Amino acid sequence: MMKNLIPWRNKQVGEGRPETAPPANLRSELEPLFENFWRDPFGLAGWPLAAAEGPWGPAVDLSESESELTVRAEVPGIDPKDIDVQVTGNQLVITGEKKESGEKREGNWYHRESRFGAFRRAVPLPEGVDRNKVHADYANGVLTVRMEKTGASQARRIEVKSK
Amino acid sequence: MANEQTGMTKSETQDLRSAESTRGGLCFRPYVDILEKPDELVVLADVPGAKGEEIDIDFEDGLLTIYARVAERQPGETQFLRREYGVGDFYRTFRISEAIDARAISAECADGVLTLHLPKSEAAKPRKIAVKAD
Repeated sequence: MMKNLIPWRNKQVGEGRPETAPPANLRSELEPLFENFWRDPFGLAGWPLAAAEGPWGPAVDLSESESELTVRAEVPGIDPKDIDVQVTGNQLVITGEKKESGEKREGNWYHRESRFGAFRRAVPLPEGVDRNKVHADYANGVLTVRMEKTGASQARRIEVKSK
Repeated sequence: MANEQTGMTKSETQDLRSAESTRGGLCFRPYVDILEKPDELVVLADVPGAKGEEIDIDFEDGLLTIYARVAERQPGETQFLRREYGVGDFYRTFRISEAIDARAISAECADGVLTLHLPKSEAAKPRKIAVKAD
């Protein structure tokens, strides 16, 4: 069911990469004209590229406390102005775009693992979130969305009386 | 499962041969982009959650080490409804050759992205030689 809710998944990228790659190797031999050196200075050739095309969505953590729900997503390198957070129905929808700086677009790539372009992530929310009390902030590449629970869904402590 | 859903996951690293983790917990390998400019290589590493002052960049014996400490984001007793990514430090090493001027390596960090500038040494810079005409 979860899979149907997130149409933007991209199987290709998620597939694991080797857990323990040797420290990438910068060749130091004076090969003719540094040819091999500059072609693969970090010894990264053959790694699967994460920079696949198409829409993607960041991973999220969803946690709950007595009074609020917190969604956190790691979206490094994005201007907060390019992130849009909406609560629609019983979903929290995070959309945005990671833009490539001109420098990166024009550069000669050696190696590329990060992703660019538009992203979208919908997170189904439990009942009882106050739609008018949603706060989002972005710091050090981590987006934090806090949603207050409505009075009805807040945890209440019921005292047990003894006679 | 998270892999399939999001297409953006972190990979854990066990590669801590030169720096043993003292905190325990998870350690991740940051994704990097590397691009070449005429006079330098630029390494861009995604280290979400790390502040600039919490990132150690060491250069020793030709080995460039990036170690970014990431503070806990949630109190220990947090109740997670869904957990797709782990929070932990970032660690990655690169072997650098003499073609890089190690003393001039510089770095900055903004919005969770660490930018490392690795200037090419004089010998490795492209040089244009003007042909003189009489």
